[in-house]
Amino acid sequence: MLEIAGLAKTYGEVLALDDCSLTVAPGRMLGFLGPNGAGKTTAMRAVFGLITPDRGAVTWHGRPITDDDRLRFGYMPETRGLYPKMRAADQLTYLGALHGLDTTTSRTSAGQWLERLGLTERANDPVEKLSHGNQQRVQLAAALVHSPELLVLDEPFSGLDPIGVETMAGVLRERADAGSAVLFSSHQLDLVEDLCEDVAIINKGRVVMSGNVDQIKDASPVRHLEIEIADGGGEVISNLDGVIRSETVGRRHQLLIDAKVDVRSVLRDALATGQIRRFIYSTPSLSEIFLEAVS
Amino acid sequence: MTGWQGLALVARREVRERGRSKSFLISLVLTVLVVAGAFVVPQLLGRGPDTHRIGTVGDGNEPVLRAAEELAAAGLAEDEEPDTFLTLPYPTLALARAALEADEVDLVMVDGEEMILKSSGFSSQGGPVQLFQRAAGSVRLQELVAENGQAVADVVAILSSEPLRVSTLSGEDLEGDLRPLVAYVGLILMYIAILGYGTWTLTGVTEEKNNRVVEVLLATLRPWQLLGGKVLGIGVLGMLQFLLTLAVAFIVVRLTGLLEIPDLPIATLVVLFVWFVLGFAVYSVGFGAAGALASRPEEAQTVSFPLSTVAVVGFFVSFQVLDDPISPAARIASFFPFTAPYVVPIRNSLDGIAWWEHALAIVVMMASIGLMVRVAGRIYRGGVLRSGGRVKIREAWRQSDL
Repeated sequence: MLEIAGLAKTYGEVLALDDCSLTVAPGRMLGFLGPNGAGKTTAMRAVFGLITPDRGAVTWHGRPITDDDRLRFGYMPETRGLYPKMRAADQLTYLGALHGLDTTTSRTSAGQWLERLGLTERANDPVEKLSHGNQQRVQLAAALVHSPELLVLDEPFSGLDPIGVETMAGVLRERADAGSAVLFSSHQLDLVEDLCEDVAIINKGRVVMSGNVDQIKDASPVRHLEIEIADGGGEVISNLDGVIRSETVGRRHQLLIDAKVDVRSVLRDALATGQIRRFIYSTPSLSEIFLEAVS
Repeated sequence: MTGWQGLALVARREVRERGRSKSFLISLVLTVLVVAGAFVVPQLLGRGPDTHRIGTVGDGNEPVLRAAEELAAAGLAEDEEPDTFLTLPYPTLALARAALEADEVDLVMVDGEEMILKSSGFSSQGGPVQLFQRAAGSVRLQELVAENGQAVADVVAILSSEPLRVSTLSGEDLEGDLRPLVAYVGLILMYIAILGYGTWTLTGVTEEKNNRVVEVLLATLRPWQLLGGKVLGIGVLGMLQFLLTLAVAFIVVRLTGLLEIPDLPIATLVVLFVWFVLGFAVYSVGFGAAGALASRPEEAQTVSFPLSTVAVVGFFVSFQVLDDPISPAARIASFFPFTAPYVVPIRNSLDGIAWWEHALAIVVMMASIGLMVRVAGRIYRGGVLRSGGRVKIREAWRQSDL
């Protein structure tokens, strides 16, 4: 279990982190969301000791993180970094060795990851000769080559094409299913919603919302309701209490309602007025929750 | 994995990757070719004995020419051929001058009293002219001592030797002394290593910072491991390149028989090696810190300019030490970490340093390297993760976070 507790960090006048707290459990994936400059990268760097916080602590399984712990962590920084002239396979083997693998194991693992990511034929090419997407794949392999217990990735999906996104998402899911704790930041909120069990939203250095994605959505004070009734059903809508916002397109009514509204009674009333063609009741999307949280 | 294992991995990568890079291999081949060429080309150009064509006018030239031949043969190895002199007598001075003008002879000798050259160029200062001067001197001397029965050969033997024995206050014999040469060569090698391999460290650090791989590495490694491994790896590779170059030079010299390879005292070589390592370490760590302050490789040279200047100044200061290894300046410079690597090996080679001074200089140097690693390590930490422009030393120091 990774726990970031009450982390604070300032750079001169700039407040990068302000009482930032979150936890990532083994076998689970946490999407770390926040506007640009909110403090995501600073918080992730703190996990690897790349910055020293002014206050707060980062712990792994309840104790301060040691150098040995970090050997079992994998990191993909936001600004990608590999040796341009070093061969992909050699690079991964080297990074595996830096994480404590012996050379043979490291080379084998490097080969397996290159195969898994479709790069076997490029294994002996210098990284600078690879396309951007393939370099990104090698960067991912660099974070995975030693089968880390904790995987921290800063914007892993940025710049990837849809196939790349799917591959990356599949690999992260695999790692979490294998028991690793996975933390990644992203601006692709729909992807995070689909992929992650947990989410943490950071704004101005402070985590303003965190927890299980479904629970967060359930805890929202609003719901979406979309109704389409054959004969219009206008009186159902007009009689409904707790409507925050409504929009009508033809016979379709799109409503934002208070979560406390009893949706079963609305459904009964709608059934009483005519034939229901559409009745969708849903929690807000993660995007909406995010925008609400950081606004 | 221990800290030293991490450092060793970094060093090994440095040796492997840099060692097989095109730029390294090209520089290695070029260095070896230049060194080999420096020995071979002059020999190809100047191979074999010269034949000098000497025009003679009048009497009295013969003894001088004979003495010159004996002088030319003196001091040569058994398998070496001396220069020879082809004598072309002329009945009149006018004819001889005409022959000189037409390049039929190299010089004209008149009555064993005068030499006439075509012009007063560079060749008038050396070669046969000097030889004839000495030969004429020996003939004069022979004439003076003839009544005592001395033979020309004896006179020549005396004149071609160095009759005065030279020694120093400490009593050692300086005859055939090669130590100033060793000190001089050692100084040049030190200078090349410090600036050449220091620059490798400088650009290596800046490249790692510039291509951002440093963040991946520092997620696992401590800054001292990364900086130390880089300095060690480049040091090992530099040493290999140096030894290979020296080996090639040695083999070429042996094959061509150009120079007599002296038997250097092992202790002198060990001292040279130790200071080579110490000097490289202190400067290279400094260059590593400078590299962390630059944002782009093009900026690295500017950032490292103060340190490069210190290296150059230290080098030139050391020439004073070659002249006077026990001067107060030489003693002071022995305890300053940026001049000691130049100065101490010279003083040692010239026996101008007491053992306790030498030991103390090594202790001071080791302590300085320790301090330098801490200072440079902190600057490195503060600078290497900062992007977007050159980092000032003060900022790097203050924001050193790791």
